[in-house]
Amino acid sequence: MDWAFIFVNAVVLACIYGTLAIGISITWSSLGLVNLSYAYIFALSGYGAWLVAQFVGPSLPAVLVGPAVMAGGILTGAFGGLIVCALAFIPIHDKPNFTVRGLIATLAINLIGTQLLLWWFGPRSKNLPEIFGTGKIAAPGLVMTADKIGNVLSSVILLTVVLQWMRSSRRGLEIRAMMMNPHAAAIVGIGVRRTGFYVMAITGGLAGLAAVLLSQTYYIAPFSGLTPMIKGVSIALCGGLGSVRGAVIAALLLGLNEAITSVTLGGQYVLMTQFLAIIIVLLIRPRGIAGILDKAREA
Amino acid sequence: MVNLWRNPLFVWDVKGAVEELPTNPHVSPQSIWDRTRESRVSLLPVGRLRYYYKWPGHGASIWNRLRYWPTRRRLLNIRGEYNPKTMAREKTVVDKRPIWWLLGLLALLVAPFLIPDSLQNTLFAAGAFFGIYAAINLCWMLVLGTASIYSLASFAVVGAAAFVATYLSIVLHLPWWVLPLVGSAVGLIFGVIIAIPATRLDGFYYALLTLGLNELCRVYFLQSKQFGAATGGLYGADTYIPKDWTPLSQSMLGYYACFALMLGALLLYRMVDGRRLGRILRMAPEKREAFAEATGVDYRRARVLVFIISSVALGFIGGFYASHYRGVGFSIFSFDTVLLGLAMLVIGGIGRAEGAVVGTAIVVLLDKVLISWGPIRLIAIGLIMLGVVLFLRGGIFGIKAQFRAWRDKKKSERRSTRAEKGGEMLPEEATETKNKDLVYFHRYDKMQRDYLKTLVSPEIIDEHQRSPLGQHSEALERLLLYFRRAALPDKYAITVVEPFKAYRIVALSGHRGVAPRVVEDKIYPTQDEAYHGVFLRRVQDLLEA
Repeated sequence: MDWAFIFVNAVVLACIYGTLAIGISITWSSLGLVNLSYAYIFALSGYGAWLVAQFVGPSLPAVLVGPAVMAGGILTGAFGGLIVCALAFIPIHDKPNFTVRGLIATLAINLIGTQLLLWWFGPRSKNLPEIFGTGKIAAPGLVMTADKIGNVLSSVILLTVVLQWMRSSRRGLEIRAMMMNPHAAAIVGIGVRRTGFYVMAITGGLAGLAAVLLSQTYYIAPFSGLTPMIKGVSIALCGGLGSVRGAVIAALLLGLNEAITSVTLGGQYVLMTQFLAIIIVLLIRPRGIAGILDKAREA
Repeated sequence: MVNLWRNPLFVWDVKGAVEELPTNPHVSPQSIWDRTRESRVSLLPVGRLRYYYKWPGHGASIWNRLRYWPTRRRLLNIRGEYNPKTMAREKTVVDKRPIWWLLGLLALLVAPFLIPDSLQNTLFAAGAFFGIYAAINLCWMLVLGTASIYSLASFAVVGAAAFVATYLSIVLHLPWWVLPLVGSAVGLIFGVIIAIPATRLDGFYYALLTLGLNELCRVYFLQSKQFGAATGGLYGADTYIPKDWTPLSQSMLGYYACFALMLGALLLYRMVDGRRLGRILRMAPEKREAFAEATGVDYRRARVLVFIISSVALGFIGGFYASHYRGVGFSIFSFDTVLLGLAMLVIGGIGRAEGAVVGTAIVVLLDKVLISWGPIRLIAIGLIMLGVVLFLRGGIFGIKAQFRAWRDKKKSERRSTRAEKGGEMLPEEATETKNKDLVYFHRYDKMQRDYLKTLVSPEIIDEHQRSPLGQHSEALERLLLYFRRAALPDKYAITVVEPFKAYRIVALSGHRGVAPRVVEDKIYPTQDEAYHGVFLRRVQDLLEA
């Protein structure tokens, strides 16, 4: 068995899905919203990146096409996050039964949004230019293609920037306060709605990044976001909703699982082993690997 | 300007009478009446309406004790009562839902004979689809609403049961009536498997896990060779619809079979939700399990039981599905199917049988009948779903309760604007008081006190001090008449401490056998001074009231 190949694949997958999972996790812990409209945000930012590549890309120098496409995806994702926040968080976050209603509202947005994408762009899938080029690095025992290196580097860099921003900036402090105790945060003057927009824009941007990175391997289609969303949600779940560290651990774990399964058993068994792994983890730790108990966060 | 009052007794040489005394100018009581009438206090409509239609009485029998087997429910929940005004017997149908259910089911029963020929194909197909999905949603509602387990795996159970049943029917040539039983067995296995994590997980962890399970089933069946990955599904099961019938009678049989399936699901819902199991679970909704457990409710066992019952029923429906459509497609596992099913439940309102059925009807109408709309119909379903979630708390059938809560809020807001009481009753007091004369008495009394306050002046007090008894000016006489007519409890009186030397003011208790209480220590040397002391106290009370 080629362990180096498995390891590289695991890290690449972990980076992409972890980006999405951390977004889901942060949204849940700061807003109390289980955002199931990531499939829509994902597809939307894929199309945003595609539009940039299609209409802006040809007029740019070749070096700038990749960053422009990526920025287009991230900005569209942030825009999608803002839409979801305005529709599903702002009107009902202080109303009874918010968690269930928020979940269903995001599902409804997902349904409407994907159907609109299907209507607008048609069912034919699109693909993005290879934004990291086509180079290769050959190390002893394995070959690293440029898109894998680019995937890992860009997601790690962007995640580090976002986490550093959350750790050191004023807004990040507000978001972390909301994650710990939303009521107390509201009492000391942290605007719930304003912070909601920040959080949703950032997590939407992370989803956009994941969409651009994943579209290096797969195509962009109206319903292409579903599988990444389910994977992201299950990683967030396995790591414990609300915990960034847990999401990273779970992303590595499930990426490793996926890489091993697809090498040893075959691609069609990936979801099965993945869910078995998640079920086992959740049966041992019902709140995920590093999750906090419900009592610790009374929304 | 001070008026003069001429004492008519003066000419008769009454002892101590004076000819003229200064008194108040005349004030008409009309002015107070007018001022009260043009009061700034707005009289808002805040009373209680009778929201129920009152049917005429039904003779001697007060209670309707007819119950239908095997439940202990009455045919109609009718309340017998007397009209408090006319004292006539009246009855109120407290819960009209059985009537609506009966009418709706009758309409579905006769619908095949009323649809136009041009729409027959579409409507029969949509009707059969509606029956099956309503049955699935009713079972799902048991899990989601009654047991409050957020399971999204219902379609996984149905689909797995349908696939296994179809496969066995093809391989072993099972007849159609065995398929639902095979499906039930598959549902039982699935129910037990899914119930294991349900004992440890709750809320969204469980919802997302079951959503993943659904995806897992889809991928498994899609990629396994024996389940027909190439043909988009597995077809060729035995069916209950005879092949030699005309297409119309085939569709009609399918429609009625699906209708019967829905009736069975309704019965199951009723038997689980409306009886002991449902009551136990309603005692333990999400986030209040600890309280239920403390009162001795074993909610975990009840939840798992409901879960397994509904899984078996879902498996049965899956087997029926296979024998109705002669097979099953992969689309039953797709995220959109789950989403549409959830839309059906949410639009109708989670936790009610009528919500599941009507929500299914709305979504099926949009999705299957208005096919010519294209993708707009899914967008419309999404918009309805979004609107229902954003604006309604309990779906369409929660509108009534939500409207009433809103109306009560508005009523209490209006009541709270009436802070000034002023002798009248506040609106809620007025509606709670049986004797409406009291309302008018308080209003009259307030106006009279307002008027009498205008009569109090130093001249009147001097006049009373001069002669507490005897003929008085009109103003003083009005005051005294009002004071004398006061109610007995706490009325002032004079008690003799020592005859002709010492008097004291007391207040009567108003109850026989209960002694008056002393109101002040002051001893008055004469009876007239004591009279005047009582007068001053009453004037003070009047001005303070």
